[in-house]
Amino acid sequence: MKFLKNGLSRRQILKTTAGTTAGAAAYSLGLGGRAPAYAQSGTSIRVLSVEDPFLFALRDTIGDFTEQTGIDVELESLSYDAMQARLVTSFVSNTSDADVVTVDQMWTGQYIDNGWIRPLDEFAAGDADLDITDFMPEVLYSLNTWRGHLATLPVAAYAQGVMYRRSVADTLGLDIPDADGSWTWDAYTDTIAAMNGQNVNGTDMFGTVICGSQPTPIVHMFTQAAASYGARWFESFPASPEWDFTPTVTSPEMLAAVEQYARLYELSPPEAINYLWFDAGTRFSTGDIGMFYWWTPYFYLIKNNGYMTGEPSVVADDYGIAPLPVAGSTPQVISLGGWSFGIPSTTEKADAAWEFLKWSTSAATQKAMGLVDTYNYQFSDFARRSLYDDSDLLSIYPYLPTQAGMLAQGNGKIARPPAPVYTTLEGIMGLELNKVLIGQQSADEALSTMNDLFLNTLRGNFLIPYSLPSFDDTPEATQALISSLA
Amino acid sequence: MESHTRPLRRLVIYALLALMMLFFIGPIIWFVLLAIRPPATAFATPPVLLFEPTADAIWHTLVDPGANAKQARNSLIVALGAVLLNLPFSVPAAYSLSRFRLRSKKFIMLWYLGLLMAPPIAFLIPYFVLMTQIGLSGTYLSMILVLQTLIIPFSVWLMKSFIDEVPRELEEAARVDGASWHVIMLRITLPLVRPGLIVTSMFAFVFAWNNAAFPLVLSSQQTATLPIGTLNYFASTGVTWSFIATAAVVAMLPPMLIFLVFDRYVVRGLTFGAVKG
Amino acid sequence: MATIPVATTAPSGRRTLMAYLPYLLVAPSVILLLGLIAYPLVFALKNSFYFWNLQTSATPVGFVGFANYRMVLESPEFFSSLINTLILTISGTALEFGLGLAIALLLATRLKGMSVARALLIMPTTIAPIVVGFLFRYMYDPQGGIITWLMASIGLDLPVQGILGSTNTSLLAILIADVWQWTPFFAIILYAGLLSVPVSLLEAARLDGASAWVLFWRIKFPFIMRTALIILILRFMQLFNTFDLVLVLTRGGPGTSSRTLGYTLYQQGLIDFNIGMASATTWLVVIIVNAIVGLYIFFAFRKWEW
Repeated sequence: MKFLKNGLSRRQILKTTAGTTAGAAAYSLGLGGRAPAYAQSGTSIRVLSVEDPFLFALRDTIGDFTEQTGIDVELESLSYDAMQARLVTSFVSNTSDADVVTVDQMWTGQYIDNGWIRPLDEFAAGDADLDITDFMPEVLYSLNTWRGHLATLPVAAYAQGVMYRRSVADTLGLDIPDADGSWTWDAYTDTIAAMNGQNVNGTDMFGTVICGSQPTPIVHMFTQAAASYGARWFESFPASPEWDFTPTVTSPEMLAAVEQYARLYELSPPEAINYLWFDAGTRFSTGDIGMFYWWTPYFYLIKNNGYMTGEPSVVADDYGIAPLPVAGSTPQVISLGGWSFGIPSTTEKADAAWEFLKWSTSAATQKAMGLVDTYNYQFSDFARRSLYDDSDLLSIYPYLPTQAGMLAQGNGKIARPPAPVYTTLEGIMGLELNKVLIGQQSADEALSTMNDLFLNTLRGNFLIPYSLPSFDDTPEATQALISSLA
Repeated sequence: MESHTRPLRRLVIYALLALMMLFFIGPIIWFVLLAIRPPATAFATPPVLLFEPTADAIWHTLVDPGANAKQARNSLIVALGAVLLNLPFSVPAAYSLSRFRLRSKKFIMLWYLGLLMAPPIAFLIPYFVLMTQIGLSGTYLSMILVLQTLIIPFSVWLMKSFIDEVPRELEEAARVDGASWHVIMLRITLPLVRPGLIVTSMFAFVFAWNNAAFPLVLSSQQTATLPIGTLNYFASTGVTWSFIATAAVVAMLPPMLIFLVFDRYVVRGLTFGAVKG
Repeated sequence: MATIPVATTAPSGRRTLMAYLPYLLVAPSVILLLGLIAYPLVFALKNSFYFWNLQTSATPVGFVGFANYRMVLESPEFFSSLINTLILTISGTALEFGLGLAIALLLATRLKGMSVARALLIMPTTIAPIVVGFLFRYMYDPQGGIITWLMASIGLDLPVQGILGSTNTSLLAILIADVWQWTPFFAIILYAGLLSVPVSLLEAARLDGASAWVLFWRIKFPFIMRTALIILILRFMQLFNTFDLVLVLTRGGPGTSSRTLGYTLYQQGLIDFNIGMASATTWLVVIIVNAIVGLYIFFAFRKWEW
């Protein structure tokens, strides 16, 4: 505190200290032994994490971090809503008490633009320990970059993929393709329709299961279909030198996706209308669902009977993974999601926080998290390429190569574009879609209402016309950023 | 009274009573069972009534709440703090409104009531900004203070009704003997409205203990209370019913125990007027 | 009622103090509450006229007149939220009062075991609403929830989407959870009111040959009305602002069938972080509740002894 008053930031002090001890630290690291003397040794940082599967694995490995760096970690976890409420209010008043925070990819832009978190470029540049080229560029593009800056680092990366019951497909003689781009949404729906209502080994099957609850769950699932169909939310954002937020949700592609989603609901248990994220996965693991698509963490979550119980479910040895269908010749786009850590501007322990970011997202830590078996092995959401052909991990998570293929086709910024008022738009989209599923309106009506409400919101928030500087946010720009930081 | 009751009527009354208890208490028992039953039987159809509870689950529910312990302690601090802060504010106000002639008495009483009109959820962000400006955000005190907006109005109304029932003759006698107003209030009136103080404090405790909105933004990782804890088990990739039920049971027990222990005050307190003075 | 004549007999030096004493005793609570309530109300009033959306800017951007109010009133959720809230609030308070009164009369028979029943009965009221939400979500579960199973066992036709998943039953499901939690509160307080009816009065009426019906409406009911008036309005205001139950049970769905103003406010404020719109909604709610409560107070408290 005193340092601050004298106009010297804590960080500057630490930088100098780090300089003098760098040699010693590098030496001990080089020997592969314990690294006892880090500059931050003895400090304690607060990490605010969202409550998600990765947290359990992280919690079990966090002792290693303290052992390696001498930095103590206070790990607090909150549900997404509570975390977001806490974070935004504390940022508005400049009083975040955490040194590392979980940043939702939909809010990354706002966090950076408002100066709530600090860009990581200066930390990453030239830090060889980071090994930034090992991160999948699609993940960094979708989750972690904004306006050409590295904003956060991914601690868990999700794509979406298909899960189906092997025994059901075998019994009914249905062929589930395992090569990319080999089946269409129509074929996917036909397969589901063929499973629906069948009695397989004494269980009456539903073809599929969807998430119907508004606002977030239905949008997360629907937008995967929409992205596959080639639908876009806006005229040109974010991969464009001139951002134009004019909504394009009345396009034929979006209409096809809504009709597809409504068809899938007809082949789902009717109570799916109220299903949140996890309900769909939980339902699949009870054994009466033929096939569904969802975030990749469910590849391992469905093995368990209930969340974090560690008890195997009835489908544990009876499910397969398949790539998502495509819409004709439209190039596949997979929705990417997950969780990332960032460093709030308010922290005085930025260097220690950076050590934590680097450690938690490193290949070694991520692998250790994947090997935690407290709850029957529950973490395979790697953002690091090198882990997808790691033999230890492959023996536990045999689907990793398929998952890597899904991530490689990922573009989270198309599926759910991180526009400045995304959550409001998500609320609108969720409600209108939900009304289609319950038969209160047709897909056409929903999209035209959605378009009007999008327009109102975007105009009301001064995003149409867009007058602030644009940034041509393309995967290539992220690639260039990675090269410059490597 | 009992002697007037005919057997048939009595049978009907007991049948109604049993039905009522099943409706109101059954769900609570069902939730407690969820906390200690094997997870596989949680959603069985038909419902499983008999099961062997896991010793581990009972231990974590009733003896060692683990991660819930810190939040339970925080809830306790906030709720007790809210009760203690409430009394010195609401009791003198209630006493004054009951005993003295205030020109704007009606207005003041209705004003207290009107405070409950505003939606608390809308005030979360302003309260956060306010508490930050006075350096209190994340502290127990911030929650304790803000809870007063719900607790004081309720307490003033309740306490006033209790004090109204204390015969004025008692105070009058003391006054004639030369006792001043504060001696009268502290030595004569307050001891007589002890049941009222207890009932008021019980409700204040329960309102504070159960409040989920304010801690949502006003608590920090150090001061988070139980309702925030239960929400955490309702995560985006899974809901852990046995965890939720365990946390919920920890959250349910203290208020229930308080109401059971102080049961005689609940009605005796609220019916103070029926007790012959 | 006789009021102690303050100040008239006090020594002259303390005269001023004694004259102000009644106000001095009330003042601390009023000042504390004013301090706590004025800030958010003024904050909301000011920001309801400003464009301030935390998704786009950390600070208020500019004065926009009534634009926030217009946006709120034009949004498709507002009126369905208002109507749902009114349905929930009015039917909730009425049901809780009616059932609570019936139970209070039952308890007042004072048969053996009634005191134990009464002591246990209050339990639902002591539970956090968010926990009640979880409890009912568990019991309403379409697959293996005990309420679903019970309803199906007695041959009721449940909606295929589940109790929480049908537009016909979602609001009712929230209502039932609230009635479950708060009926005991009414019952206990009304029971206390019944006990306060002077026995001599009842005996006298009985000697005059009054029927149980007459006894209730002419003697008991007027006695408990005083308490009832207050708890009715307390519950009304609480229920009007309810959001925890909706958050856990339905998130306002399906469609807008169970969306309440409290939940809409939660979404505008803590999910969308649109301070301007949330502030406008806040003031609309304050105005609406004020109008209802004002009318209620005008009629119900006319004969009130202060």
